[in-house]
Amino acid sequence: MFAWIRALASRTQAWLSPHHADQDFENELETHLEMLTEENVRRGMTPEEARRTARIRLGGHTQLKETNRELHGLPILETFLQDMRYGFRMLRKNPGFTAVAILTLALGIGANTAIFSVVYAVLLKPLPYTNPEQLFTAFQANTQQGIAETGCSYPNFEEWRAQNHVFSELAGILGHQLTLTGRGEPSVVNTSVVTPELFALLDVKPLAGRIFFPQDGKQGAAPVALVSEDLWRGRFGADPKITGTSINLDKRPFTVIGIIPAAFRTPFFSTKREVWIPLVQDPLFSTFMPQRGSHFLAAIGRLKPGVSVAQAQAEMDAISGRLAGEFPAENKGWTIRLVPLQKEIVGDVRTELLVLLGAVGLVLLLACANIANLLLTRATSRSKEIAVRTALGARRARITRQLLSETAVLGLLGGATGIALAYWGVKALSSLLPSSLPQMNPIRVDYFVLGFALLLSAIAGVAFGLVPAMFAAHADIQNTLREGARSGESRNRRRAHSFLAVAEISLAMVLLVTAGLLLRSFANLTSVSPGFDVQHVMKADISLPRFQYSTPQQWTAFSDELLARIQTEPGLQDSAVVVPRPIADGQVNLGFYIVGNPPLSTGTSRTANYVAASPDYFRVMGIPLLAGRLFNQDDISTAPRVSVISKTMARLYFPNQDPLGKQLKFGFPPDGGAVREIVGIVGDVRDVSLGQDPGPMMYVPFAQAPFWGANVVVRSTLSPSSVAAAIRLEVRKMDKDLPVTDVANLQDLIEASVAQPRFRTILLGLFAAMALVLAATGIFGVISYSVSQQTREIGIRMALGAQSGEVLRQVLKEGARMVAVGLALGLMGSLAATRFIATLLFGVKPADPLTFAAVAAMLTIVALVASYIPARRATRVDPMVALRYE
Amino acid sequence: MPGGKSEILQGTLDLMVLKTLEAMGPLHGYGIARRIEQISEEALQINQGTIYASLVRLIQKRWISGAWGTSDNNRKAKFYSITKAGRKQLHTEAQNWERISGVIGRVLRIAERE
Repeated sequence: MFAWIRALASRTQAWLSPHHADQDFENELETHLEMLTEENVRRGMTPEEARRTARIRLGGHTQLKETNRELHGLPILETFLQDMRYGFRMLRKNPGFTAVAILTLALGIGANTAIFSVVYAVLLKPLPYTNPEQLFTAFQANTQQGIAETGCSYPNFEEWRAQNHVFSELAGILGHQLTLTGRGEPSVVNTSVVTPELFALLDVKPLAGRIFFPQDGKQGAAPVALVSEDLWRGRFGADPKITGTSINLDKRPFTVIGIIPAAFRTPFFSTKREVWIPLVQDPLFSTFMPQRGSHFLAAIGRLKPGVSVAQAQAEMDAISGRLAGEFPAENKGWTIRLVPLQKEIVGDVRTELLVLLGAVGLVLLLACANIANLLLTRATSRSKEIAVRTALGARRARITRQLLSETAVLGLLGGATGIALAYWGVKALSSLLPSSLPQMNPIRVDYFVLGFALLLSAIAGVAFGLVPAMFAAHADIQNTLREGARSGESRNRRRAHSFLAVAEISLAMVLLVTAGLLLRSFANLTSVSPGFDVQHVMKADISLPRFQYSTPQQWTAFSDELLARIQTEPGLQDSAVVVPRPIADGQVNLGFYIVGNPPLSTGTSRTANYVAASPDYFRVMGIPLLAGRLFNQDDISTAPRVSVISKTMARLYFPNQDPLGKQLKFGFPPDGGAVREIVGIVGDVRDVSLGQDPGPMMYVPFAQAPFWGANVVVRSTLSPSSVAAAIRLEVRKMDKDLPVTDVANLQDLIEASVAQPRFRTILLGLFAAMALVLAATGIFGVISYSVSQQTREIGIRMALGAQSGEVLRQVLKEGARMVAVGLALGLMGSLAATRFIATLLFGVKPADPLTFAAVAAMLTIVALVASYIPARRATRVDPMVALRYE
Repeated sequence: MPGGKSEILQGTLDLMVLKTLEAMGPLHGYGIARRIEQISEEALQINQGTIYASLVRLIQKRWISGAWGTSDNNRKAKFYSITKAGRKQLHTEAQNWERISGVIGRVLRIAERE
């Protein structure tokens, strides 16, 4: 082994200074010759004869030198470099071919690299935590109630922590927004509310100060907060003495104890967090802590080393069983589900990204087929050169190697250009990425992605180089040479051309069908009526600091005054407050009972989405009243409780009865048992997303169920900025410390809500368009080539009186045949492929006949046009020229 | 490319060169070739040039080293001498050789008797 390495080192050294070694050897041989000659002379030969005999004894001079050189150099590398140089020269000689091939490949590699960088960052790269494979989330599930996964309550979380032996640590996490005041403009900060163990569990090192200690989570502990590096640098001007100082969150002072580095990503939150506080200090969620039935906390655990998932799951099953026995009211029917953290964070984006990766892979395959076709065409014109070289003694392996080196050069050039494109592509992609895409790792072209791109271009280079190389190696020299000036076109070669074109058509069909289905889904999705008007409706958020405005009376007073003030502004008469707004906010799902109905069996419940709205809400949003009445100014907190329900709720829970006058029991604590009379029925609203059918909804007057904030909706023809300015002005008059945030058009919000489907539709549409262009140029190339090969035949036939129409038909027939076979194969491929995107479709079946037919028609037309151009050229062949042609 | 020829033949020549250098001390190419011819009692009439391929291989493996010097008749010549690694190699190779030739010899004798 070492001897071999030493030999290689010495060879490399010699290879780097070949002239010196050559001269040395020459001198040595000369001495040897002289010595031999001398000996011969001593034996009595004439000097001339002595020299001649010496030469014979020594052996062929040139041969010796060659052997010496081979022994000294690195022959494989040398011939490879030689082939590469030759390859470069050939590419330079055909700039048109080279440009087309490199550009095609670069687009394929660039698109693949860009998409792969997203796939890698989101799906493949481990989460940026210590030993991320040990991290799991623990959900609660209730199959009887059809709840697949939801959070746990704090009392249950404490039991889990205390009772389990499988996790080295468990932490709870959730998030919302708090108002940050003091030191500059009031602003709303993304806050994570955590149990203190989280940072120790994720092994986070603070930039300064300390992380939370267990005592920070105890009742009565001093309020402390961690701030993000970005917030520290931005708002606090990188103040080195920030730790120990106080900041106001929702008007309550918190002591800053540490700075969290900017690279840290809080699990589950795709937008960056700016502040972290212990759960016990949170103005909202701390009130839920004693309730065993409030499933509000997401739990993360780190498995102890050596504990398997099955063991952990078994232990948690035992714990949930014990809890169900101990606290049947809250825990009966509830189980615990462990899911790897990465899987949970990635969620359903996985399918989407894999579909995109598959699609872009097909584009590259198409690009390779196209280049293989070009190379094959060129190889035909080079077959004579290769035949001559074979006849002169070049071995097949040597010729194959040379052709592959040439395409490797092409592959690498294409790859390099593609990587440059990918850098740009990733930038372009970043602006398209939906915010729902979890970005725990930054999306960029890093070394791993670069390696992938290089590997891809090498594979591509070999893939499209192999076809022509195979033909060249098996070429029949005798025939090629005998055919003289006529370039040798074999049946097999023609078949290979057609095969590639057919493959391109079928691949393009798969991509076009997929894109077509997504496009139809997207069109369906965006044309769905959400059940409310989006034109000229704007929203703005005013979040009330919960420590300052702590009673429902204060909340009502604030929102009443705010609405009254806003409505005096010109153009803002149509205003209302509501929590939560459809699509823009999350949903509040509450259980309810129908008064007078028999009680439901334990473990089952009826739920509906809950909305608190001021009287004008329905008018502002354009939600129609179907029966009864809407809320009015008399529905105040002291008046009898009332409720308005949605059409679907009436249909589901009051079949064949009139719901008006019936009573429902539901509400937030301490209002949980409030009985409300149904006074009206309104139209359905898609409050979750455009893609989800409306569920049952129940509305209550804001005054009878106030919230600590005022989410304003305004119908106005004014510009969003002037609406925002007017609202800010009024709010500031009331309380200068209240930030007005998230002013937006509902139209924009609806559009943002379909960002993910739009993202995949745009990308797949782009890939499909590339596929179409590639397939069209592929067919064009094949038919053009075929026509050029048949010039003589066509000429003869025309000289014999064939009509140009006949010739045209004949050429087109060749194209049509390829299209027919390609479409048949593509149909099968598409049927297989579209099953994978079934979950991404909306309002259209994977085997949608309309899409399939439209794609088939489009491909046929494009392919026939692509064949028509060379076919026309064939009919213009001048018989005389054609006959002289070769 | 070289290598097509029998590895054993090359190896044998290399072994003989090593043995020669061990026995005779530093020698130039001509000297080595002559010595091998003499020892084999002129039975092995090699193309003297092939010695050089062997020398290059041995040098690359660092089993011998070469340096320019002056011959008896005042000629500039490259002298080769065996290195420590070369001696070790020669030792193992020689053992190998004896074992193999012993085995082959036995096999041939057995075959003769039958």
